[in-house]
Amino acid sequence: MSVLNVTVEKVEQITDVVKQFTFVQDNGEALPKFSGGSHVVVSMDINGRTHRNPYSLMSSPANTDSYQIAVRRQDKSRGGSVFMHDQVKPGTKLTITYPVNLFAINRLGKKHILVAGGIGITPFMSQIADLNRLGADYELHYAYRSSEHAAFREQLEELCGDRVHFYVEGDGTRIDFGDLLGQQPLGTHAYVCGPEPMVKMMLLTAKYLGWPSNHVHSEQFLAPPVGDEFTVVLNQSAKEIVVPGDMSMLEAMEEAGVDAPFLCRGGACGRCELDVLETDGALLHHDHYLSDAEKAAGNKIMPCVSRAKCTRLVVNL
Amino acid sequence: MERGYRIRSKPLYDPLIWKEHATDHVVIAHAEGGVGVLKLFQMMTPKQPIKVLFADDARAQRSYRDIISKLVDEGLQILDDKEGVLSAVSATLDDCVMGTQFYIAGNEDFIWAASQILKSAGVDDKNVMKEQCGSLARPVYCVHCKTIDPEVHHNVYTCPGCGRHLFVRDHFSRRLGAYMGLMVDAEEPGNIPEVEEMYP
Repeated sequence: MSVLNVTVEKVEQITDVVKQFTFVQDNGEALPKFSGGSHVVVSMDINGRTHRNPYSLMSSPANTDSYQIAVRRQDKSRGGSVFMHDQVKPGTKLTITYPVNLFAINRLGKKHILVAGGIGITPFMSQIADLNRLGADYELHYAYRSSEHAAFREQLEELCGDRVHFYVEGDGTRIDFGDLLGQQPLGTHAYVCGPEPMVKMMLLTAKYLGWPSNHVHSEQFLAPPVGDEFTVVLNQSAKEIVVPGDMSMLEAMEEAGVDAPFLCRGGACGRCELDVLETDGALLHHDHYLSDAEKAAGNKIMPCVSRAKCTRLVVNL
Repeated sequence: MERGYRIRSKPLYDPLIWKEHATDHVVIAHAEGGVGVLKLFQMMTPKQPIKVLFADDARAQRSYRDIISKLVDEGLQILDDKEGVLSAVSATLDDCVMGTQFYIAGNEDFIWAASQILKSAGVDDKNVMKEQCGSLARPVYCVHCKTIDPEVHHNVYTCPGCGRHLFVRDHFSRRLGAYMGLMVDAEEPGNIPEVEEMYP
């Protein structure tokens, strides 16, 4: 997969736990154009092991001299965000993938309701630039834990004017999805990015109010969960690869030199889907891509976030 | 008929069934579409408000307005004709919110005329239940002069706009709400296949 070689131009501390990074291309050229809601996958070399994490681009699509991402520090995870916070400084060289958009604005929408929780604000930053440019009707509803966690609030007030509404959990203000979605005009699309309970709450509320599913959009990148060690067998190349507990199946295959397909690395896009031929245990699905029925059928797996509780898993690769 | 082959754009229709999750329901029907409405009201009716917009076809022998009036006690609007229903649809849309479910019953010309009004309000036809009732007559547009004949019954017909003999295809345009009609004797003028009634 072709990559972009970038240098970190600027690192800004936005809140206690959020840092913003600005990337420019090493060859001095402008970066590829992208649409609002796109993300890139950043590769990090952590103790000799390659980590790849997806991050939404939050700069305006109108400006491709640089890209900006924001990273929330997650101490209890596999170390990607901690690496970004502690090791990445201005001048650090990184490789990123070309931007991919799995969370685009529907251009036919008459109105757009954007709902962000915490660091889930990032994809909306670039979408808002697009919506402003198109002169589209939109509202942004941004919920965060406390005023210290209000990342980008001033920037959003400037970008959105009175279209933005803030909800501070610490003050007891919460988004009431029934109120929010119950009286929207025909042709409205709703978008949510944030913690899982919030995403689920909005999707369920929309469903019960009778919103068609193609008017409701969500994006959640998942970190691969930690689990037990198992062995994955690649049917076509007859390779046997041990997947350690703290590595995803996809990462283990990549470490072993296998050129496995991937795009988002967060269980959202479905690009890395593999056919499961055989297992002596159970598949642990963590993705948002497969339907419940497909998960239950147990013959497909998304190796970027899903794993297995077994000794041996045979996939068709 | 070639088996195992289909034209993807050819619309498929289903019998109308109430959708469980909704804020309200709008049923739009014309002529034989009245049967679709009657079938709907034989099911358990939903709790949310219902609006029914219906007109008989004055040319037809069968009328459904009296039976529908007996079955639908609230939210019924009987209109004079197809155009009356369509303008009632436009007037209704301003009050509708996301969560309103739409149901259309009638012939294909009516289904897509109503769908186009819904589309202009941002309602995707994928999310609208559509039941084809009565005639299988097809709305067809002439790819040469763009004239649409709303009710074509035969495999080959004469375009009312340009007089060409057109062959009716299965290719369907959702934007125009009509099937494609192509000149059948362009290669050999006058060589017209046997005209048969395909869409009674």
